[in-house]
Amino acid sequence: MELDAKSQPAAAPGQQRARSTPFLEVRNLHKRYGGVHALRGVSFSIERGQTYHLLGENGCGKSTLIKILSGAQPSSEGDLVIDGTPRKELDPIRALQAGIETVYQDLSLLPNLSVEENIGLTQQLVEGNGRLFRPLHGRRLRETAKGALAKVGLPTDNGFLSSRIEDLPIATRQLVAIARAIAGKAGLVIMDEPTTSLTRREVENLISVVRTLHADGVSVLFVTHKLDECKEIGGRAIVMRDGEMVRECDISEASKRELGQWMTGRELEEGRYRENPQLGDTLLQVADLSRDGRFADVSFSVAKGEILGITGLLDSGRNELALALAGVVPADSGEIRLGGERLSLPDPASANAAGVGYVPEDRLTEGLFLEKPIEDNVVMAILNRLRNMLGLVDRSKSAAVAGKLMSDLKVVAPNIKAPVQSLSGGNQQRVLIGRWLAIEPRLLILHGPTVGVDVGSKDTIFRIIQGLADTGMAVILISDDLPELLQNCDRIAVMQKGRVVATQAAESLTETALYELMGAAIRTGDAAGKTA
Amino acid sequence: MSLSATNEDHAPRAGFASRTAGFFRRYPEAFAALLIVVLCVAVGLLNPAFWQLANLFDILRASVVRGLFALGVLMVLAAGGLDVSFSAIAALVMYAVTKAVTLFAPDMGMLSIFIMSAVGGALLGAINGLLVNTLKAPSLIVTIGTQYAYRGFLLTFIGTALFMNIPPAMDAFGQWSLMSRTAENGFTVQLPGFVLVLAVAALATWAMLRFTLIGRAVYAIGGRPDIAERLGYRVSSVQLFVFAWAGMLAGIAGIIHVSSNRLANPFDLAGIELSVISAVILGGARITGGSGSVLGTLLGVVLITLVNNVLILIGIPSSWQTAILGLFILCAGVFFVLQKRAG
Repeated sequence: MELDAKSQPAAAPGQQRARSTPFLEVRNLHKRYGGVHALRGVSFSIERGQTYHLLGENGCGKSTLIKILSGAQPSSEGDLVIDGTPRKELDPIRALQAGIETVYQDLSLLPNLSVEENIGLTQQLVEGNGRLFRPLHGRRLRETAKGALAKVGLPTDNGFLSSRIEDLPIATRQLVAIARAIAGKAGLVIMDEPTTSLTRREVENLISVVRTLHADGVSVLFVTHKLDECKEIGGRAIVMRDGEMVRECDISEASKRELGQWMTGRELEEGRYRENPQLGDTLLQVADLSRDGRFADVSFSVAKGEILGITGLLDSGRNELALALAGVVPADSGEIRLGGERLSLPDPASANAAGVGYVPEDRLTEGLFLEKPIEDNVVMAILNRLRNMLGLVDRSKSAAVAGKLMSDLKVVAPNIKAPVQSLSGGNQQRVLIGRWLAIEPRLLILHGPTVGVDVGSKDTIFRIIQGLADTGMAVILISDDLPELLQNCDRIAVMQKGRVVATQAAESLTETALYELMGAAIRTGDAAGKTA
Repeated sequence: MSLSATNEDHAPRAGFASRTAGFFRRYPEAFAALLIVVLCVAVGLLNPAFWQLANLFDILRASVVRGLFALGVLMVLAAGGLDVSFSAIAALVMYAVTKAVTLFAPDMGMLSIFIMSAVGGALLGAINGLLVNTLKAPSLIVTIGTQYAYRGFLLTFIGTALFMNIPPAMDAFGQWSLMSRTAENGFTVQLPGFVLVLAVAALATWAMLRFTLIGRAVYAIGGRPDIAERLGYRVSSVQLFVFAWAGMLAGIAGIIHVSSNRLANPFDLAGIELSVISAVILGGARITGGSGSVLGTLLGVVLITLVNNVLILIGIPSSWQTAILGLFILCAGVFFVLQKRAG
């Protein structure tokens, strides 16, 4: 059986569509890492030409499951039946031969190789069972790449084919990664958070790609946190919790509330978190703030105890505005007043000293020292205050500060000495918020506070944000997660092409209205309707 | 800074500076080529005696051993590693082979001698690769270790005495001349036949990197080993291969060194490591791995040979050569960092 399957790598699933066996059956899959039981008997099957959504909180075993399906790790127990053939030992090559393609969150692209190499090499590698001492078929490499690029709507000229991945914008990379996955004769394409860095329009493009894949009998398994998006795309939901599969159903049959409940095992609020805001005097006043080519004449104000949302498309200047307010990339002209006092913010240290806390978007690259303990990360911004007589950091004081913040923010960790990288995404985000709370800021700027965070942690982070505003802190929430803004803010400012085009009370706004203000009026629902 | 999603956003800003940066980014070899041209023109203007064929022969002769080493370093560097043991491998192979041939088979032909040293070098290189794979240690550390180990093994177990009477086949090979010219100062300068060895090695390395899957795999694991592994590249096989290839080239280089000097000195070739690595870097390879080309490497080697051999023609004392070389390397470093930022 095994040999047979190898000699015909990834037999075209399209031809077998008529067969009644599912493409993949997962039977009673277990995975143990030392003493940790990460997967506890997961079973499900993937039919041909369908969309699936694998849902679950961080640490529920989703990633482990994907690693096993893609051959990156062996399972401890259980069977994978692919195309009716039981497979015990999968390695990356055998998984690809069997027709399982995986687009990891980091895209699995080789930055220093060209687009065509990234797309076409895998196929030639798989055909030779991973043997490397073979000639490279240059022409076929190009043909493979062209075909796949055309399917995802990317250019197929020689210039693009030979450009290096590291020279491409992130959204293009994401599409190249998807092109690679569909270049071979895949039966199942697994996509881990494929839409994180895509704009609306690109997401729509992706969805239409998925529909053409279905027509060829290819199934797609999305792994995602964005419940709204899942519901828009449609298909079946596979919900996991604590290493077990808790529910499989048609996603249209479940409400977001129910899905969240199955994932977390507890009731989650779906409505507004913002209740009885107590607004004080105006704290922050921004007037005519500009930075050449990024944003222009931006004016707004935030009161004590108020939560202001700022949103816009990727190129709207919202990210640059956040960086200017935090002193990371200063503005060229305009005025920032905090409590009536004019601030110049040439660098992050002066923002910090003025009482402005900034929690960056990408907690991994911009904020945290991953291999350092929680304590060190939390007190990083207040080392000056922790000095003892000798000018050294007072360890007991720093432990007390860190300990208090950790319990306030409900960080789940063995102790404050645990390295941050051992925590889940949501807890890492809380540590980062903790660092800026330690400076006791008057104004807190949160940039995409729940990117890559599961629903349960999202809930906790929202409650923390509300609690902070209730203490009289002014909060600016910069995000492209519209439900997040609608649930948490008092007012929302929308940016387009570097300018604030509208500032409205959140209660009077809807997602659709926000999309229109952002200049992204085409909705996924319409696009899906056209292609279906 | 901007996270713009389309290429068009970058288009209007492409002025002369960024186009130049883009050109060097695409063809990093051009940097070494440019320096070579500038150097040649400068030296040629100050001393027209530079423009004679005899000088070219000299430069080629002096480039062969360093060139072979550099091709090996390129392979390891492209795969994301660093090898500093090649000089010790060359010394061990050249001395052991010369001694063995003299003692046991003085009439052995040159081809057999080359095969013996290539295999010997490849085995020593493979030991590097195995250690890197099993210890999961940085290859720089591993090869510093094996460099001492190989050199120590040579001096302890094989010998320390100079070998003046090298086997006749090697002697003849070292004297083999493709062409000869009488220079203006009356000396006769020859284009040695062993230049062809470098040409063959360069062609073979180039073809292997370009036209085989293993060649692409070298760059793949040099770019991101973790991702390459996930995509089904066997990282350990590639590691083993690049170190064996580097060892093989080092063994061959050792034999050429002995043949052209007509002398086997077990203390030779020590300290050449940095200048070889510099040649590869000047040729456009990134020290962090995943890039570099055979053409660039050869240009880098020629550049370093030029600095070492021709500055004397315009009266720059040899002590200054090192300083100028350092300046070039700093320039290359700054240059490549700047265009990375620009890109």
